[in-house]
Amino acid sequence: MNANHVATVGGERVARLVSSNALLVVIVAIGLVFSLVQPAFLTAENLVGIVRQVSMIGIMALAMTFVIMTGGVDLSIGPVLALSGLVAVFALDADHPLPVVLAAALGVGLLIGLVNGVVIAAFDLPPILVTLSMLSIVRGTALLLGGPEMHSIRGQPGYSFIGTGSILGIPFSVYLFGAIAALMLVVQRQTTFGLLVAALGDNERAAFLSGHNTRLTKAVLYALSGVCAALAGIIQSSQVHTGAATYGEFGIELDVIAAVVLGGTSLMGGNGSVARTLLGVLFLGVMNNGMNILDVPIDIQLIAKGVIIALALALSEFRQGHGGR
Amino acid sequence: MQRWWQEAEVDSSTPVIEARGLSKVYGSVTALADADFRVMPGEVRALVGANGAGKSTLIKILTGAIAPTSGTVTVNAEPAALGSPTEMIRRGVACIYQHSNLAPAMTVLDNIFLGRQPTRRFGFLDRKRQREMARALLDLHGIQLDLDAVVSTLPTVKQKEVEIMKALALDARVLLMDEPTGWLSASEVAKLHDTIRALKTRGVGIVYISHMLDEIYAVCDTMTIMRDGRIVAQSAVSEMPRPRMVELMVGEKLARDASDAAHLQRKPHGSGEVRLRCTRLSRLGAFTDVSFELHAGEILCITGLIGAKRTELVQAIFGSHPFDEGTMELNGARVKFRSPGEAMAHGVGFVPEDRHREGLMLGLSVTENLIMTTLDRCRRGPALLRKRIEQVSRDAIRALNVRPADGRLAVRQLSGGNQQKVLLGKWLNLGPGVLMLDEPTVGVDVGAKAEIYSILRAERDKGTAILVVSSDLEEVMTIADRIAIMVSGRMVSVQSANELTMADIVREIGRKAA
Repeated sequence: MNANHVATVGGERVARLVSSNALLVVIVAIGLVFSLVQPAFLTAENLVGIVRQVSMIGIMALAMTFVIMTGGVDLSIGPVLALSGLVAVFALDADHPLPVVLAAALGVGLLIGLVNGVVIAAFDLPPILVTLSMLSIVRGTALLLGGPEMHSIRGQPGYSFIGTGSILGIPFSVYLFGAIAALMLVVQRQTTFGLLVAALGDNERAAFLSGHNTRLTKAVLYALSGVCAALAGIIQSSQVHTGAATYGEFGIELDVIAAVVLGGTSLMGGNGSVARTLLGVLFLGVMNNGMNILDVPIDIQLIAKGVIIALALALSEFRQGHGGR
Repeated sequence: MQRWWQEAEVDSSTPVIEARGLSKVYGSVTALADADFRVMPGEVRALVGANGAGKSTLIKILTGAIAPTSGTVTVNAEPAALGSPTEMIRRGVACIYQHSNLAPAMTVLDNIFLGRQPTRRFGFLDRKRQREMARALLDLHGIQLDLDAVVSTLPTVKQKEVEIMKALALDARVLLMDEPTGWLSASEVAKLHDTIRALKTRGVGIVYISHMLDEIYAVCDTMTIMRDGRIVAQSAVSEMPRPRMVELMVGEKLARDASDAAHLQRKPHGSGEVRLRCTRLSRLGAFTDVSFELHAGEILCITGLIGAKRTELVQAIFGSHPFDEGTMELNGARVKFRSPGEAMAHGVGFVPEDRHREGLMLGLSVTENLIMTTLDRCRRGPALLRKRIEQVSRDAIRALNVRPADGRLAVRQLSGGNQQKVLLGKWLNLGPGVLMLDEPTVGVDVGAKAEIYSILRAERDKGTAILVVSSDLEEVMTIADRIAIMVSGRMVSVQSANELTMADIVREIGRKAA
């Protein structure tokens, strides 16, 4: 019996090692193909560019990892991104100092996330429905405030720096993404909060019966997701020097969720990893960038991306179904 | 074509079901050893034994839910392929479980034919034929049911009859009834027994599993008594005096030996200091007017049947589903917990019954589970103190003898007994003043059981007040200092364990509340 245990433990370790690195292998393989076909892919400039391109999705995917680990999902991040950008633009127009602008934009995300979280936690409602409703409400609010047109940002060097500035040749948004990723990694691995999220995702009832305030934890997670979406909105509006109510459409939440799930976090909740989400984000980035470099038309890109994500998910489900038990 | 409900010729000399040499081994645990079991047409056979005696293993093999390690089963003299529920249903073996398996929002008629409605061409339901078939079946067995009634609107006993009809519509020759009267009132039980007697005359063989000894003597012809995975006696009910039956069920000699030792160790009222006092606790639809005192340094066992609302009571005390009325005092101070966290802050711990659903995070490691109740002691600010956590985990694993002794393993990878030890350890780490445990050894092998008992005794001797909810009478007699009996949401007695025998308890818990 003991030998048996050891064997299964060893087997699962190997399986886990393979499955957690499979994505990395795939990323490297795809990267190799791209760089063989188009040498411009494998340049420092392009690689940094990839990270810059995924920084917004990446920041949102970090928070989404925690949300999905608890068996939830946040579909309202797209419109939150748009609204926070708009709020920043309007605050800049009103000549508020930068800290106030940022606080206002992030505050909008925090508020929306909190409402999501409190409603979900307090009334035990399905997160998909609550955040879907919120998606509609926030998009409507953004349109009410901003109308259909673009609002360009007038010269505000501090604000523009967030999306377009660089330090030592690396874009500031990459630093931002890196800092938040590091923070989330520490939160997941080194804090009671991270452990609590894992516990909640594994068995919410048991976490509650162990004396934990599971509702509060859930509410905090949605608030975190809102803040991260708002931060992405700040980066977006700063990058393109405009705010618009229509930003974050075309399934940005889908990219975020795909990144998380590609990283091996189950949509049913439970085990999930910030580190692996980062790989998922990178995978999407490499795919997008590679196809751009190869001049694949956008319509084909969308189709190819959908197929590849579906395949990758099927593969990971298959692996979980057969390797996990 | 044979008319669908017409039963095969009843040959009264051929058993409707016969098992020979059935064994079931799980790892190092033998759940069922070399069991021979048979039921003749028209026989009502009681299957009795304490929890863990192997009854449910036997039933699961007969329904095809699990395959035996060895042995054969024949149904109507034909060998059956084992481990396949569809095969057993096809051969006419049906089981009626304690909990309803009906679709509550559908009509009686729809439920009887659920999933196998007679159809016309193109898959359209043949309602008319369905109704005719049901009518014929009801007449045949002398059962009265309104076919158009929605199941959820029927009284429980009628729902049981619908389940029986559902089984008979499958042309069941053998009906396994697992605690069929658990939710019924006395008059409903009588009605159900009338139905069973009607089935007997039709040649249906019935296996009747019940803890209610009165019922067994009222309706059964023969009985099979199980203990520790073995069949210890088979006899006609009329030839088996009750005291002898209880003795065979629980192994009185063993129990007496164990309880002699336990008697010396027993500490009714513990140190005499009242730790927890509950006065007239009530919650609508659950329990009523429950009063008792729990002392420091004693183990108080609350026993009773499933459905006696013991779990609800301890959950109310723990605050996971608070009580409506009554008062509770902890160390003399009035308290009422509105959440488990609040109870824990007052040093009250609760080990829930279902370790998979309520107790453990199966995907997390042993270490993470062990510190789940004491996270506040394992952190500085928001940061986890890894060293301290490892230490706590190592100590607990050693103290509880968790095997394999590796805190990094996912709890899922441990055996049931070791999982239960982790669950227990998680609560012992809290250092509770009051520890409540709900069925602390369900699904745990004998060795781990003994270890858990000695852990609980040691905890008691440290002065902890321990409240155990248990349906396992042998367990109750082994560990209880005092025994409380609950029947239908009321606490009917609280006595020193020295004043009670197993037979007394069986009599008390089998008493129907008026």
